[in-house]
Amino acid sequence: MKSKVALITCLLILGASCAPSAGQNVSNEDAQAKLFTLQVLPLLKSKCFGCHGNDPDNLQGDYDLRTRQSALKGGESGSPAIVVGKPGASPLLEAIKWEGLEMPPKENDRLNEQQIEIIRQWIQSGAAWPSQEKQTEIKKQLWSSADPGKGMRLENSGGLSEEWTYRTYAPEDVWAFQPFEKPKVPATHKHPIDAFIEKELDKTNLEMAPQADAATLIRRATYDLTGLPPTPDEVTQFELASQQNHKKAWNDLITRLLARPQYGERWGQHWLDVVRYADTSGMSNDFERSNAWRYRDYVVRSFNQNKPYNHFVIEQLAADDLVREQEKSEDGKNANGYTIAPAEAQVATGFLRMGPWEHTAMSPERVSRQNYLDDMVNSIGQTFLSVPLRCCKCHDHKSDPIPTRDYYRFYAALATTQPAEMKAALLPGENQAAFSEERTHVEALLDYSTKEREKLYAKREVAARKWYEERGIADQYVPFNKRQILGRQKFFDENEAAKIPPRFIGLTSEEEGVLKVREGESRIWTRRLERFQPLAQSVYYGGDILVNSRMLRPPNPKNKKLMAKHKTMPTSHIYEGGSVEAMGQQVTPGVLSALQVSTYHGDQEDPYSLPKVTDRRRIALARWITKKDNPLTKRSIVNRIWNYHFGKGLAGNPNNFGATGKKPTHPDLLNWLAEDFVDHGWRIKRLHRLIMTSAAYQASTTHPDKKQLDAADPNHDLLTVFQPRRLSAEEIRDSLLAASGELNPSVGGLPARPEINLEVALAPRMVQFSLAPAYQPNRTPEMRNRRSIYAYRICGLADPMMEVFNRPKPDESCEVRDTASVSPQVFTLMNSDSITKRSIAMASRLEKEAESIEDQIRLGFALLGLNQPGEGTVELLVEHFEKMSRYHAENPPQPGDYPVELARSVVEEFTGETCHYVERLDIYENYVPDLHPADVKPGTRALADICLLLFNSNEFIYVY
Amino acid sequence: MNPFQLNRRNFLYGLGSSLGSVAFSRLLADQADTDSRPGGRQKKDAAKAKACIMLFMEGGPSHIDTFDPKPKLEQLHLNKFTIEGPRFSGMSRGNRFYVKSPFKFRQSGQNEIAMCEHFQHLSDPAVADELCVFRGCQVDSVNHPTALYQMNTGNRLGGDPAIGSWVTYGLGSENQNLPGYVVMTELAAPQGGSGNWSNGFLPANFQGTLLRSKGSPILDLNPPDWKSRHHQRANLDVLNQLNQESLKNHPQHRDLLARMENYELAFRMQMEVPGVVNIEEEPEHIQSLYGLDNKETSSFGRQCLMARKLVEKGVRFVQIFSGGWDSHDFIERAHKKRIQSIDKPIAALIKDLKARGMLDDTLIVWTGEFGRTPDNTVRGGETAIGRDHNNKAMNMFFAGGGVKPGIVGATDEIGQSAVENVHPVRDVHVTMLHLMGLNDNKLTYFHGGRFKQLSQFGGNLIDEIIA
Repeated sequence: MKSKVALITCLLILGASCAPSAGQNVSNEDAQAKLFTLQVLPLLKSKCFGCHGNDPDNLQGDYDLRTRQSALKGGESGSPAIVVGKPGASPLLEAIKWEGLEMPPKENDRLNEQQIEIIRQWIQSGAAWPSQEKQTEIKKQLWSSADPGKGMRLENSGGLSEEWTYRTYAPEDVWAFQPFEKPKVPATHKHPIDAFIEKELDKTNLEMAPQADAATLIRRATYDLTGLPPTPDEVTQFELASQQNHKKAWNDLITRLLARPQYGERWGQHWLDVVRYADTSGMSNDFERSNAWRYRDYVVRSFNQNKPYNHFVIEQLAADDLVREQEKSEDGKNANGYTIAPAEAQVATGFLRMGPWEHTAMSPERVSRQNYLDDMVNSIGQTFLSVPLRCCKCHDHKSDPIPTRDYYRFYAALATTQPAEMKAALLPGENQAAFSEERTHVEALLDYSTKEREKLYAKREVAARKWYEERGIADQYVPFNKRQILGRQKFFDENEAAKIPPRFIGLTSEEEGVLKVREGESRIWTRRLERFQPLAQSVYYGGDILVNSRMLRPPNPKNKKLMAKHKTMPTSHIYEGGSVEAMGQQVTPGVLSALQVSTYHGDQEDPYSLPKVTDRRRIALARWITKKDNPLTKRSIVNRIWNYHFGKGLAGNPNNFGATGKKPTHPDLLNWLAEDFVDHGWRIKRLHRLIMTSAAYQASTTHPDKKQLDAADPNHDLLTVFQPRRLSAEEIRDSLLAASGELNPSVGGLPARPEINLEVALAPRMVQFSLAPAYQPNRTPEMRNRRSIYAYRICGLADPMMEVFNRPKPDESCEVRDTASVSPQVFTLMNSDSITKRSIAMASRLEKEAESIEDQIRLGFALLGLNQPGEGTVELLVEHFEKMSRYHAENPPQPGDYPVELARSVVEEFTGETCHYVERLDIYENYVPDLHPADVKPGTRALADICLLLFNSNEFIYVY
Repeated sequence: MNPFQLNRRNFLYGLGSSLGSVAFSRLLADQADTDSRPGGRQKKDAAKAKACIMLFMEGGPSHIDTFDPKPKLEQLHLNKFTIEGPRFSGMSRGNRFYVKSPFKFRQSGQNEIAMCEHFQHLSDPAVADELCVFRGCQVDSVNHPTALYQMNTGNRLGGDPAIGSWVTYGLGSENQNLPGYVVMTELAAPQGGSGNWSNGFLPANFQGTLLRSKGSPILDLNPPDWKSRHHQRANLDVLNQLNQESLKNHPQHRDLLARMENYELAFRMQMEVPGVVNIEEEPEHIQSLYGLDNKETSSFGRQCLMARKLVEKGVRFVQIFSGGWDSHDFIERAHKKRIQSIDKPIAALIKDLKARGMLDDTLIVWTGEFGRTPDNTVRGGETAIGRDHNNKAMNMFFAGGGVKPGIVGATDEIGQSAVENVHPVRDVHVTMLHLMGLNDNKLTYFHGGRFKQLSQFGGNLIDEIIA
């Protein structure tokens, strides 16, 4: 504290002595003072003071930027850092240009050219350093004036400093936060999207690439809308229809594709990427989210029903509030004018349960709670507004107009939201086909682990009784649970403690370890039974009670202690520096102020406020998010949809519209699409059709004038060609199953467990206190070979085939999939057991459906949605087939074999030794395998080699 | 303005926005192609280490029972332990009591490194004199996966690139046919699984490759038994012809060549990897040096020996996880066993590297995700002799390239909190990068609108560790 006072005094004295140099007129002096106060000093503070000012006892390189004198004087090198009037001779300027020294050293903090120019001007004009009073005067004057000078100011609820509150922004950096009008479509006869694109193209002499051919287009559209290849018949028919009337044929195709249930699966997957869907909760325990699949199906259903996006948003955030509105209204409708079934509503808020989170005895309660709320705040901002909010957890946003206060007001909007598994009756449409088979499986393993556990318990109790008998106190025997309680009570009394036998009496050190494993298994399988109960991973309103997330339920009304906590309304504060220990100012629920979009609840005094009661906070937030004049939400969703159609958003970071995200390449088009979307009822299917009927979407991936293209549009921002894209992990697997005829197209239901690499499936994996059970696939091919969106998503165990093809991990929101080619993809696609099985199944299908080898090869291309091969290619493959047939006749595979038991070993933390036990693999006891290479003839295996090559071909892996 | 630096920035932006370009589509950064290789842009600081072997003791080894003796606890043993301030988690509630270390300690080598009695090989002065024990690190989390994530990736919530990914991104690999970042686990994957060796937002080729001790060393490295290498080659040749055809159809599609090249690289890896992982080829005296002839030490010993072979072949970052250090109870037998399982192999690794003249080029780091408390609670109604998690005190040690042997930092007299030379994990990361010639502030990747770095927001070097 002392040093701070000294610092201020020192600044005052130096500031006062900083008289203007002779020869400068007053206005110039004034301009210089302003330059320093408003531009130079804030830059120095944010970029340099961290190492050269804030901590006077630890100045890096002995360079102190707090005063003019010390700033000029320089640091340990001894030579002056600033030569007044001569920026070219000033080492400071050199350093900030990263010529010689590189300052500030972090890439993120590096000054841009504009900022360097500010410093250059300042040095050039005499390095003015006005007094503190003068600085205050200048700032006050500016802040009270309507004209902010350079840049634009955005009104907000107030930052931690006035500098922040009144700072200005370059308009292009805050494009997303500003209101906008619906732009006029440029006057041409063209499709509105093409009209906007042509307007940009007119500035160059580039032209849009011609339309792709019909076969390319149907493959492009079918993958895009369903994630599957078109069937051979569909291709032939479309080619014919397109010849006759392309526009009609194309429109009809889009209509057909949008009507398929596979549409919701494909686009639901995009949404699940953003919200980080998983069937487990990650962290130490990777606890089961047993009913999360219902939320996944809700998402698929919502896309298939073409649910208005504003309703989709509101339901995920606050469907429970909608139901309460319905209950109170006379016509049974909520304030949005429709009715949602209570169970559906409970499922919809599953959004608020995504992302890794757990609370256990190991975690500090307030930190657990903060982890949950921070994650939700950030996720809501990122998902619906395209503004990640985590930056403002610790400070006012560095580049966006979001004060930390707004973050904590948003946080307060969720402060009464508690995660729990809530009752939700199964809905008529929900797929329960796998219930009975799955229940048998869970019960079998629960039974096994319980029996194993009980055997060890029994052994322990025999020894305990004996222990009491040996001491002549047989009558004092009490069962294990009682002994534990006694032990705790009598802990500090050695005499009493001696009357209790050791905890693991009668068990070898190996058995101690095994007992822990069996107890862990029993807990896991008991919890898994939740799957079959009418529950939903959901939320309720109430105070913080923080129970171990081994079992999350709303508090039992009979439990007075919990109910008292439940009824305590939490207050919300700014946590200074993001630390729960540093409670700052109290805040009330509210929204982002800089958007200047008031809430329905807001009043004149606080237009951005949300209800302060326990409930209704989320619905009020959701209605603000979906207000028509909220400039973020509508652009966020149309940009996401565009992003998936073209592989790149109009704004290049669909999760971040802030200053650090990529700026829109076609802002007018984005704005027009957003308004048009809202004008037509927030309907996503309509938007698909609008986009897909544009010439830009139907353009070829090859441009007739490559040179011109490279010169005028090297980054493909102008949308002159359609960018090829690699199939996603799910599309690859689903296409192979479709082509091999193994795909079970049923929709929804319990997580399916496909076969994954057996080594990975059986590899031990630590969870708290124990090992996670082995991954066992479903028993029958029908259950296993479902679409990949239905595959069981375990945070701690990725299907390596999916992972290697860049399926994102469920801990981070994914705005766009990575598609880098790496060698492990080759291993998977050439060598894995799954790929071998698909190739065998497909070969066997080809043999059934076509006679000659030539026709079989041609059908193979067709089933994968590929263009028909030329004669040369067919010849090449026939020749290869013959060669491979000879090879396979001489090299037969071994028949398949599945383990029914697994010998496990684990390093036990109580003993430091390896303990061994047997895990039962019940599924394989009665397993129905896929077609195995040993089951087929050498010729089929040779044809499978051909299929394998097609799976690996560029033509299959990319969509053009 | 230096044109190279300008390019660098543009280049990075480009990288963040369009992956899959030729230079980055390889599993390994190309050694010769220094300009396009991310690390090629880094001026090497005066670095000694070219490779790093990180020995990760999962569960949180107790500093009090390994390298940081606390005689004061002898007097306090089993006395009631009281905690000041509010109790934030289940671990600070209940009847708590002090626990002394069940082990004796001795001081080894010229730096008088304190070690528990069961370090019979590390205490050999020839080895002890190489060690720099650091007692000043503090982490943010008391929970396993979050602390593991933080120690491995800098971010306790996970999702970011692991330090091995950053190093490989920065330096590339010296061997085209091996992955640059290799991970070995003991019996089970640690809590948090592959998130601990994730490439995060870095291109996928920088992900840690899990090397398996049984079966195929790299997943699906080889075709099924009934498909020979000759058969594989024949398939690849035909595939190449098919793909040449599509190259003609899509002349403007940049990713095709890179993808085709991957098939050749994969084929070369199939040949090279099995040779590297073949431990049996090592002479008998080396095998026994690492303790392969003993049940207690053979598992970790194999991995240490493998690590040496990998580093020798040009692998940049090797990480070995040893589990079972979470001794809430029975610490005497549990820690003793764990210590015995790693003591000889680590000593062997240091000696072996030294004998081959590789120790100066190799940074060895031994650490857990946090340390343990000086006190414990009643478990199962019993006076459990063990320790809970402690994020305020722990120890780690460094050896090899660029490290200054000795003891750095100190904890208070009961080992509850670091009090001297206290540093957050990011400082350890920044120091490790520095020892490998990388500057954390410059080793950045443009992602999600900002330049990201391992330390998240920058950190300070721990000068005392650096020679």
